[in-house]
Amino acid sequence: MRISAELPIGVAALIGAAATRLRRLEGLLAGELEADGFEEALLPLLDYVDPYQPILGAAAQAELYRFVDRDGELLAVRADFTPMLARLLAPRLEALGRPARVFYRGEVVRRDADHPGRRRALWQLGAEILGVEGEAAEHEALERFLGLLARAGVAAPRIVVSVAGALDRVLQQGRSRSEALGLAAAVERRDRSMVRAVPALLGVVESGLPADLGSLGDDRLAARLEHLETWCRHLETTHPGLMVRLDLAEFAGQTIDPELAGTSGARSYYDGLVFRAFAGRGFLPVGSGGRYDSLYQRLGAATTAVGFSIGLDRLVEVLEEDPPRAAIVTLGRTNEVPR
Amino acid sequence: MMRLALPKGRNLSFVRAAFARAGLTLDGFDFSGRLLQQELPEDGVEVLLLKDPDLPLYVERGVADFGAIGSDVLEESGADLLVPVRLVEGGCRLSLVGRPGTKLRNGRQLRLATKYPRTAREWLASRGLGAEILELSGSVELAPVLGLADVALDIVQTGSTLRAHGLVELETVRDVGICLVVNRGAWQAHRAALNDFVDRLEAAGAVR
Repeated sequence: MRISAELPIGVAALIGAAATRLRRLEGLLAGELEADGFEEALLPLLDYVDPYQPILGAAAQAELYRFVDRDGELLAVRADFTPMLARLLAPRLEALGRPARVFYRGEVVRRDADHPGRRRALWQLGAEILGVEGEAAEHEALERFLGLLARAGVAAPRIVVSVAGALDRVLQQGRSRSEALGLAAAVERRDRSMVRAVPALLGVVESGLPADLGSLGDDRLAARLEHLETWCRHLETTHPGLMVRLDLAEFAGQTIDPELAGTSGARSYYDGLVFRAFAGRGFLPVGSGGRYDSLYQRLGAATTAVGFSIGLDRLVEVLEEDPPRAAIVTLGRTNEVPR
Repeated sequence: MMRLALPKGRNLSFVRAAFARAGLTLDGFDFSGRLLQQELPEDGVEVLLLKDPDLPLYVERGVADFGAIGSDVLEESGADLLVPVRLVEGGCRLSLVGRPGTKLRNGRQLRLATKYPRTAREWLASRGLGAEILELSGSVELAPVLGLADVALDIVQTGSTLRAHGLVELETVRDVGICLVVNRGAWQAHRAALNDFVDRLEAAGAVR
């Protein structure tokens, strides 16, 4: 009897050398976090759906694989470590003590429309820093994230940084909720024709920031972005080869206004700093993170929370490439710099 | 050198014309030859010639940095791509077509033929309609002509093909244009060059 080796769309098996590569990378990065005092959390693959209803937006709910077990309970397969960790840690924070530094590793499984090349099962390693106040938590999280990428051997990652909700006020000016969300999506797509009528957003689409930060309508935000820009330049000097860019367009849909929030994507819990890393020849996204204090607050825990996750299978893919060639490019001529 | 993905289909001539107006002539590419991947040092790009439905995946996965593709194909693919501009040339529409007098609600399940099953499902849901979707790879307008389907969701340009087959446009679903598409990570790496290229396309009057 012949048994098919075909797997469902979006999942893969790793056997032998491929499995070893991923496990070695996972072990290397986990070891770094353990050496720095992070404690591991081993989280279950299944959980009840009900506790997540108040804290997950529509997009996050839609990506759950759900089923009814033999006892009639509605369960879901783990799609995202952060909300699961938050729901389990929130009641235990007093016992854990603050600050708490926790890491996790394993698979998440996300229901996605049948889309060629898109994975449904992802290997991740991530970390969370709870109870560290102010910017120190954000700095620590991003520095650790960069440190792990460097330790893994990622050359010249591109990091994009923003602040969740930075464009909310501009998006909502004189627009309905659906119009504002449509405009946010257009900004994320860098769609000039859709944002042409909003000069502040045209600048964001082209260069990541408006020419005048004051046009965002929030002096505190403007000051924060200036400070963030300075910090990005500092990171580039302390991490040779790194490119860090403040780009509000990349996270235009990461809204925090209650009128807009909950519909801005599956990871809609970010409410402060957000960042994403691209690496490799194809500039693939290899990890992301940010602040999500409000996620814990909604679970009744008064704590700060900043974290990140790294896509291990994507990282292995990037590390197995030939080294990329750095190029200064103008479409029309190239001055190529071999690496 | 950036990698540019071009569509092999009906939009190629429009894309080449628009890009040439912006100074990206692609004169060195042998479009009549069998080589689907060619480096053009004078233009600073390596060009890939791809089948339209495949192009979004190549750009999304970063195999190509940027490209041009019809919005019908892009939306059907669901690919996560940046779309800085749409070209002026190559506009058409995605429409529901069928025999004159065809009713969408007539007491039995509608049969809809299309190359765009995902788009069809979304449109049907928006209209509160149910239908059996018959996914075809080409000559979609024949389906209602020959009775395979009641209606077809297909691209309409001048309408001459419809008229030649005795069909009419029952409803315009959406306008279709050619989109410049960019890989999200490639945008971060080559933002200055890409912005400059988009500026040149705009200055040449090649974009909507």
